[in-house]
Amino acid sequence: MSEGMLILGAWIAAALTLFLFSFLYKDNPFFKVAEHLFIGAGMGWYFQTIFYKIMIPKIWEPLNSGDPFKMFMVIIPAILGLSLMTQFIPKISWISRYGFTFLMGYSAGMAIPVGLATDFMNQILGTIEPFSAFFSLTPWQMFNALTIAIGTICVLFYFFFSVEHKGAGKKVSNIGIYFLMIYFGASFGNTVMARFSLLYGRFDTLVNYSSAKYFYASAWIVVGLTLYFLAEKIFMSAKREISQ
Amino acid sequence: MKNTSILVSAFLILTSYSSFCAPKAGKAAAPSPIKMELKNFEALDFPYDKGETGLLKWDHTEELNDASFSVMISTISEKEGWIEADTFKAGEKTADKVNLPFWAFKKDKNKYAVPVELNNVLSSEIKQDVPFFAKVKIIKGKNSFESQTASAAARGNWFRADRLNNLLLFLFVSIVFFIIVSHAKKKSLFIRRIAGLDAIDEAIGRATEMGKPIFYVPGIGVMSQISTIASTFVLGEVAKKVAQYDSYIKVPHYDPIVMTVSKEIVKQAYTEAERPDSYKEDINVFISHDQFSYAANVDGMISREKPAACFYIGYFMAESLLLAEVGASIGAIQIAGTDVDHQLPFFFTACDYPLLGEELYAAGAYLSKEPMLVSALKVQDFGKLVFMISVALFSLLLIIGSKMNWQGLSSTLTEILKVY
Repeated sequence: MSEGMLILGAWIAAALTLFLFSFLYKDNPFFKVAEHLFIGAGMGWYFQTIFYKIMIPKIWEPLNSGDPFKMFMVIIPAILGLSLMTQFIPKISWISRYGFTFLMGYSAGMAIPVGLATDFMNQILGTIEPFSAFFSLTPWQMFNALTIAIGTICVLFYFFFSVEHKGAGKKVSNIGIYFLMIYFGASFGNTVMARFSLLYGRFDTLVNYSSAKYFYASAWIVVGLTLYFLAEKIFMSAKREISQ
Repeated sequence: MKNTSILVSAFLILTSYSSFCAPKAGKAAAPSPIKMELKNFEALDFPYDKGETGLLKWDHTEELNDASFSVMISTISEKEGWIEADTFKAGEKTADKVNLPFWAFKKDKNKYAVPVELNNVLSSEIKQDVPFFAKVKIIKGKNSFESQTASAAARGNWFRADRLNNLLLFLFVSIVFFIIVSHAKKKSLFIRRIAGLDAIDEAIGRATEMGKPIFYVPGIGVMSQISTIASTFVLGEVAKKVAQYDSYIKVPHYDPIVMTVSKEIVKQAYTEAERPDSYKEDINVFISHDQFSYAANVDGMISREKPAACFYIGYFMAESLLLAEVGASIGAIQIAGTDVDHQLPFFFTACDYPLLGEELYAAGAYLSKEPMLVSALKVQDFGKLVFMISVALFSLLLIIGSKMNWQGLSSTLTEILKVY
């Protein structure tokens, strides 16, 4: 890539990043430009990915392979998929229901056995497994196993909707909430750390683009945005005064 | 007499000399190794798979102690194309260690059972019913012997007997579901109060009073996700109330299929509320199938249109806080629900009423009181009850079993609950 293109790329990247960050102050035309460009680029990328990674290799190529088995395996799903497009023509939009019915049935059929296996049987097994050699565990492992089993039961009781949570049930449910909150706290901290790591990466890029090599791209854009917001504030306050 | 004694002594001298001169077999010649063979060696199709694995079986005999085995496979012929598929020592890979439950496979400690994944061994995709040849090299000390060759063909199975536990559980749950449905149709079933869902009326009422729109964000899930399906149920109820109050709702979408389903649901809700004339095609709008451009645009719409109420119900990932934070900054009343546990803390911090996981699944039933949905909720509760009892009971049993040294209990329970 030529040096000029690298510099242009740096200016675009720094500008789009700072335009999106400007939303932290308030909604503005620069944010709108970045927002709509983001949607357009996202949709363009999505379309070409679907076209080249799905439509061509999974539909077009098998249909043109000349192999009757491959053609048969593709033609029914393709017709069902195309039926969804009839939504655009109100008179025949009922055809899309065949596609949707298949889609819903297929999704439920896929989800139910997997759900039963992973959310039910595997979870019970995972919870009770340490008890199979309970007396050979260390005291800490015993405490861990018991905490997990009791915590699981209490949290599940919190999500039990068929009885009113009062009396002893309320206490069990409250213990469940404590377990949930401890988990949420840990999860929150973990995710925030990951997000900060992303933010540092972005700041690092901006600092890098503010060097002389890129003609101080980040710095100039920050100055430009600040001047715009100042001018807008002065203009708006003047306009308000006139209208008053 | 004298002659006789001379003859006897001569015979004895000759015999002792010949025995002295004869080669001593035990010391001078090396012992010829006893040929080892595998008893009942057979190649079979591995049961209950999609037809890519073979199974080799033979009996464990005492002479195989301390031996090691090298399993050889060929798909070409008995004479060529041999590839080493596996090596292991005596005592390993016995039939009791095969990853199949006791009801689908005979667990015999005195038999070897070696699964051979043909695709992995041959590094190519094999077609169904292609025969394979197998033999085993027995290595004991410095000697090695080859077994006879056996052959079989790997076939796919239509029925997975190893997953029978899953099927039985599914049938049991289905039966319970139909019993509860018939019960729910006769009389209404109790559902405890869920604060987040009671707030829906308050949020819609507030938006109506303020004359501002309501935003319903179904997240970035696709139609196969349970949270998205649950979200569409809630959307139906929210849209019905919006139609009744003659307020305005906007539903920005990430997935085109979810959008099409949502369109039907909202249209139906307006019809049920006897306000089909109020329904507008632009209630459901498609934004983008890119996560962050979707979030950026929804954020922009929220900050520009300043809705009085925002619902974030469905499947959310990193955009959860991006959306909820903007909603909070404009002072909208916010109700959020997702089953993505690591995003719930963000909804907790930025929303007024979060719905936690299962509460989202309960939402459709809670709001509509539809017998079918209420029954589904009751079945979920039944599942939770079974889960709680199972954990408590099995834990207790295992603790007692661990103390009393009941060997079979742990493995039986494990196999019943294991997913194959």
